[in-house]
Amino acid sequence: MFLIDSIILIIGILLLVGIASSKLSARLGIPVLVLFLMLGMAAGSEGVGGIEFEDYRLAHGIGTLALAMILFDGGLSTSLTAIRAVWKPALLLATWGVLVTAVITGVAAAWILGIPLLEGLLLGSIVGSTDAAAVFAVLRSRGVSLPRRIADVLEVESASNDPMAIFLTVGCIEVALGNVEIGLGFVGLFVSQMLIGAVCGILGGLAAGWVVNRIELDASGMYPVLISAFCLLTFGLAAKFGGSGFLAVYLAGVVIGNRPLVFRHGIRRFHDAIAWLSQIVMFVVLGLLCFPSRLADVGVRALLISTVLVLVARPLAVLLSTFPFRFTGRELAFMSWVGLKGAVPITLATFPLMLATPEHPLHAPLLFDVVFFIVVVSLAVEGTSLAAVSRWLGLERPRDPEPPVKLEINSLRHVNGEVVDYAVGKDSRAAGRLVKDLALPEGAVIALVARGDQIIPPQGNTRIHAGDHVILVLRLGMQPLVNQVFGSESKTRGSIPEMLEFPLRASTTIAELQEFYEIQVTAPPESTLAEVISREVDGGMSVLETSVRVGPLVLRALRLDSDGHIDMVGMSIRSENEEVAQAPV
Amino acid sequence: MKFADFIRLQAIKVDLVAEDKDSAIRELVAGLVESGDVAEGEQEGIIKAIMKREELGSTGIGRGVAVPHTKHPSVSQLIGTVGVSAEGVDFNSLDGEKVQLFFLLVSPPDRPGDHLRALENISRRLRDDTFCRFLKQAKTAEDVRQLLEEADNNQFGT
Repeated sequence: MFLIDSIILIIGILLLVGIASSKLSARLGIPVLVLFLMLGMAAGSEGVGGIEFEDYRLAHGIGTLALAMILFDGGLSTSLTAIRAVWKPALLLATWGVLVTAVITGVAAAWILGIPLLEGLLLGSIVGSTDAAAVFAVLRSRGVSLPRRIADVLEVESASNDPMAIFLTVGCIEVALGNVEIGLGFVGLFVSQMLIGAVCGILGGLAAGWVVNRIELDASGMYPVLISAFCLLTFGLAAKFGGSGFLAVYLAGVVIGNRPLVFRHGIRRFHDAIAWLSQIVMFVVLGLLCFPSRLADVGVRALLISTVLVLVARPLAVLLSTFPFRFTGRELAFMSWVGLKGAVPITLATFPLMLATPEHPLHAPLLFDVVFFIVVVSLAVEGTSLAAVSRWLGLERPRDPEPPVKLEINSLRHVNGEVVDYAVGKDSRAAGRLVKDLALPEGAVIALVARGDQIIPPQGNTRIHAGDHVILVLRLGMQPLVNQVFGSESKTRGSIPEMLEFPLRASTTIAELQEFYEIQVTAPPESTLAEVISREVDGGMSVLETSVRVGPLVLRALRLDSDGHIDMVGMSIRSENEEVAQAPV
Repeated sequence: MKFADFIRLQAIKVDLVAEDKDSAIRELVAGLVESGDVAEGEQEGIIKAIMKREELGSTGIGRGVAVPHTKHPSVSQLIGTVGVSAEGVDFNSLDGEKVQLFFLLVSPPDRPGDHLRALENISRRLRDDTFCRFLKQAKTAEDVRQLLEEADNNQFGT
């Protein structure tokens, strides 16, 4: 038997046990990552597996690659709207917040462990960032459902704070080794990490999107590989130019994930699988690397440092990073509790082990054991209790009903249509109505209705119930109109001030309007009012929310016909002085 | 622009007998002929022009009010009249309600600004429920005149 044969056998067993343990996770309420880590420890030299593994370089390599894939997948599933909404607090948390956490934890660690301040700060830097893999795994698991904004802040923070922690760690080591003076070069290192990482990531993402949609590969299985190739390329180029590869792959993922993509579902599935594989491999390897007997030696001191980190450093960092933004006390408390550590600190803790020299031993083995302990405590205590804490703080949201089926359509070319899944809420305008009464626009068809475990082939007389999932096939651009059909009743057009409107047929032309009102219009005289209004419809808005000013006249759609076309237009007349008077309202 | 600037008081009809759109408009235009604001020979042309505007969409703007209007070369300035129907007239309004209160406008083609200003004034005043209700209850042309005057002097809510 060759060595590789045994390795393959062991990997197979470990993966199987890892997946099996994930079934236990929900039952025991322990985050699946902790189980992976425990599995690694059990398989290690001091456990039942007895596998000798103490290759920090290899561990660092596996950790880096796995983390890159996890971050990339995280980026793919992060919507741009989420980032736009929360990037300010998230960015502050990811930079300033990490620094605050690192300094407070570092000072405490130096004192508790009795090591030089600089080495204490090194330890603080290593555990300074929250871990994207852990945060994504915990927040996106079925157990916790949070207000969107909080979840978004925490996810974006965790995905973008690794460069800061890496930079602080490398910086501390360099200073401790006497290679770099604290000063301008130090700051430059950070700026180049962030800037180059960001630029490489965005360019890499754009390039990937461009190529994927044009290359027209014969084998659909190659598309996910192509995307992976771009992910690795982006990471490598960013690192080569002195930027943060982690930040780069995350941003590349965001850019790619938010574009219409050929073979989209396949790509997402593939990277989701890769991310899971990475989680298992990374945590098992890191578990292998740990020696429980040595953990016991540092236990009490590491527990003290953990306490400072969780109860002092993280809350202060959150407070100092988010005070310009409006968060409630409960939200701040929760964000403080989600200071989850994971693979990043353990990977970073291998840095001192690799870089330490005989003149500057840096207490590297001690740091590694303490960091490992802190991570296990963080995952076990914070990770396990997150769901309970969110409930206790009253932040838990009812989950949207999960659809029992998922309809997937993979296009191998760019097509002008989409499949959209609408969850019908209680206040949806569609709830309780017959399919034939929904007034769906032309170019939108209900493919199926999923209710509980049932799949209902829709007919005109099928009634839509609250809680149903309605899956529609749409022509491109139909979504705003369909959103209107499935939107909530409360969002009806109550905001428009009551005006007396003259109803006009939508097929009335501009020329006819001019005949009666002598208005100055730029629109071509033969265009109908429906066309004039439709032209003004903005991306996210529905046609019913759009109004067009034509000289002193204001036109808006008054009614849609059963095909979703504008049927009646309301014309109101505004005088100049009236508009001024109404402005404050 | 005030009501007094274009409403012909002699043409006001508070006892419309018409039951359909066409005859209601005929009755209102006839009032303008009686008051001497429209030449008898132009009557049919004006009715035709008003009906043509109705083809674009009913001027029944809901809540029992209609504002039929058009341009016609036979008039030299903006003229208008008010009509009240106790029974109400089916006018194909969007809200399906019968129309009890009419404002009819005819404007010369060369004065588009006046035309729109008058329409704007009417639709703004009619947003006041009290004003509307009082007009519909008017029994005499004098009642209507007083209400219009009060509106012109901003004695109603808006």
